[in-house]
Amino acid sequence: MAPNTKASVPDYKNIPHAHRVPVNHREVQRIFSKLSRQSLISLALQWLAKKNRDFCRPYLLGDEDTEEEEEEEDEQYTPAQSLEELQEIYKQLAARKGGKREVQDRILEGDWRKGISMYQLATADIQYLLDHTNSLRWTAKRLARVPAKSASLDMEVTNDSDHLPRFQAQTFMANLARELTPLMKAHYLLTKIKTLPMTILRVYMHDSPYSTEASLATETSSSESAKAVFFIWPNGSPFVYSSIANHLGQGIGDDSRHLRDIVQQAIPKAFSRPSARYQLAGTNFTTKSLEALLNYRGSGKSNSAAGGWNVFQDHSFSQNALDFITSQNEKSPTRTHTTASGQSSKAATTTSGRPAKHTLDLSESSDSKRRREVAEGRFGTSALPGDGKGLERFEVRIDDAFPQLSRSESHAADENNTRPANHDRRKGRPSLLDRSLEEIEELEDGESWVPDVRVVFQGSHVFAGVRQLVEQGVVNGETMPGWMTGEAGVTVAAVKDGRIKTKKGHVLGV
Amino acid sequence: MSDLEALDNDIGDLRTKIANLQTHRANLSAILLSHPHLPARLQQRPVLHERNRREAAACAEKQSKRNTENVYRACAGITAFKVKDPDPYAVDNGNVLGVRIEVSIGGRFIETYSVLFNRPNTQYKNVLRIHKHTIPPCIPLQPLANKWLPMSTKDAENAPEQNLIRFGKSLRKELVGWHLRMEAIEKLRAEAGVLEKSKPTNEEPRRHTIGNVLNAFVSDEESDEDDEDEDEDRNQADRPVRIASIDADAAGREITVTWTDQRIGIFKVAKDGSIDKAIVKDRYGSRDSALSRKAIGRMEGLVQRLTA
Repeated sequence: MAPNTKASVPDYKNIPHAHRVPVNHREVQRIFSKLSRQSLISLALQWLAKKNRDFCRPYLLGDEDTEEEEEEEDEQYTPAQSLEELQEIYKQLAARKGGKREVQDRILEGDWRKGISMYQLATADIQYLLDHTNSLRWTAKRLARVPAKSASLDMEVTNDSDHLPRFQAQTFMANLARELTPLMKAHYLLTKIKTLPMTILRVYMHDSPYSTEASLATETSSSESAKAVFFIWPNGSPFVYSSIANHLGQGIGDDSRHLRDIVQQAIPKAFSRPSARYQLAGTNFTTKSLEALLNYRGSGKSNSAAGGWNVFQDHSFSQNALDFITSQNEKSPTRTHTTASGQSSKAATTTSGRPAKHTLDLSESSDSKRRREVAEGRFGTSALPGDGKGLERFEVRIDDAFPQLSRSESHAADENNTRPANHDRRKGRPSLLDRSLEEIEELEDGESWVPDVRVVFQGSHVFAGVRQLVEQGVVNGETMPGWMTGEAGVTVAAVKDGRIKTKKGHVLGV
Repeated sequence: MSDLEALDNDIGDLRTKIANLQTHRANLSAILLSHPHLPARLQQRPVLHERNRREAAACAEKQSKRNTENVYRACAGITAFKVKDPDPYAVDNGNVLGVRIEVSIGGRFIETYSVLFNRPNTQYKNVLRIHKHTIPPCIPLQPLANKWLPMSTKDAENAPEQNLIRFGKSLRKELVGWHLRMEAIEKLRAEAGVLEKSKPTNEEPRRHTIGNVLNAFVSDEESDEDDEDEDEDRNQADRPVRIASIDADAAGREITVTWTDQRIGIFKVAKDGSIDKAIVKDRYGSRDSALSRKAIGRMEGLVQRLTA
């Protein structure tokens, strides 16, 4: 088929979709062993579809005559005659039940025994990501315009002004490849997702000067580090989420982190046009859940109305302007929560996940009803367990001065260092919360002592947990500061005077 | 088995019937409570229990408040309201001013957006700052706020000029324009017969699939694709060329039309819904300038102009 050039020469090409890696390559084995049977079959059918065939040539009967006749006898899978026949086979597999091993083996040892193309590898990886939306850790960034000299002109909102960076797939890919190819070889796959409003870019980083198939097959780096990075653009918003595709038990080496940074730096450049330059700005938001990302940094109404403010995004605060019915409409959503008698109260308590014994305690019911109402006032309709928008880590630094008269601290302090906080810090990557030099200086000028106190909330759904604590009376819902409801929409923050500090020129959650 | 199913069906029917009757009842009670003479009559007529009278009066008053609010909201389009921030550490004691923008299309109100302001500056009580909002990011909220609601710079002596009315007006214009563009694109799809299958069906809601791969062109390798393309060509020679898909970006500012013969047209839409830039290329990359010229105009007639 392709003229197999013996000599590899360093070049300036991308790795094309059709290049294949052998089936026993580590990446192939890792990705394929994780996919479910259903996903494998739907992927195989996608690869066999007409528009993808160029990138995913299966092993057919016509291909086998050339070299390896000696393997004939122990062949498990007879190659199919044609692509149509293969499609039929996979449709049959989809129709009946069976183990996933059957499909995985058929793909790796049968129909694609000659190797899995980069395109297939990438689509399989993305499929896994979509099947398990909580599998990677994402950091949300924002594409921000570098302010031009004539700032007043940029700010004008006219009939045809654009305030978001324009995303044109072709131009973007060409620009990105131009930025990256001198530094490394990479395979790119940029795809729209049908069911979620986002575009995914997967970059498989190949740290080698060659872009040949042979160089892909040799496992260059001995380290087990991840080689792919993902970037996601939610449609119609200025955000970018980035993540390293590391997998269970696989560390993120410095190499892959470095490669990701290279790609990340190239992204705003690829977006920029003459007279409209962009840079990536942090948004203090990191989470594992894609749903949460779309909720806090997405393209909808929810970005700047998190926590209790989300009553403004659904219709629980403002009914439709033509909805005149007060009697029922008003009560039906709340009645299940507020009536103290029998059935409905029990239903409400079980949905909020509290132990059922509380309903037996009738003396407590007015108290707990009040707490539930307070929680509803503070959290609105957010922070419910099982809403899929759970943040698993929330970290704040308390920047208030140490109180003069000693009171018992109710928070579990994570680190409590004395003032020149940085010299005995354990070695490791610097945290976003480390004080900057100016902040330290500012603190030293002041007369009060401000310890470096950090509070970390961790769990499967942090704010649902806080809400439950409020409902159970562990946390006082009325005096609780607003950042504990998650209304700031960040996962890392500094708090002063009970409010999240905003940096200068930095707009929270916009 | 069939008995069970029949029973289930019956129960389902009854449930829908109950729901219908309940909405009917709610409707009737709203009408009754809105009766203009009701409060007066409640005052005059003798009642058995004074408590019942009070409750009825409260209901009627609530209804009349709702009626007033709705009339304002429906007629004005932008309304203001006050809320209290429950956060005990909120600035300005948690006083928050809300501005609500209604968007109506085709005779019904389809969406409500709110912007919530607080007053961070204790010195200048009239300086508003956006606290929270539910404006989607494809609306230029921040540029509008910079223009109409500038915050004071450090060394400024007096409060900056803010104009909430102009801000509200221009924000509403942006929001309504966005909804109208999206609506127009949906109509274009219907016109071209490429309506997306009425929202993903509920059978497999959790299953995400990969959509169009956007960079199929990055492949440097010249693969021998001609054989398959020729098949397609032959197939398509029989069928008339039609529009295969209409895509648009989230802000409704750019429409991409794909034909079955792999021509692609990209149309830039201004905020008022007029197409001001257009380009159509066929599959070999050469421009179809006649079609591009035809596309310029209002976006509503785009499909008609393209197919004519």
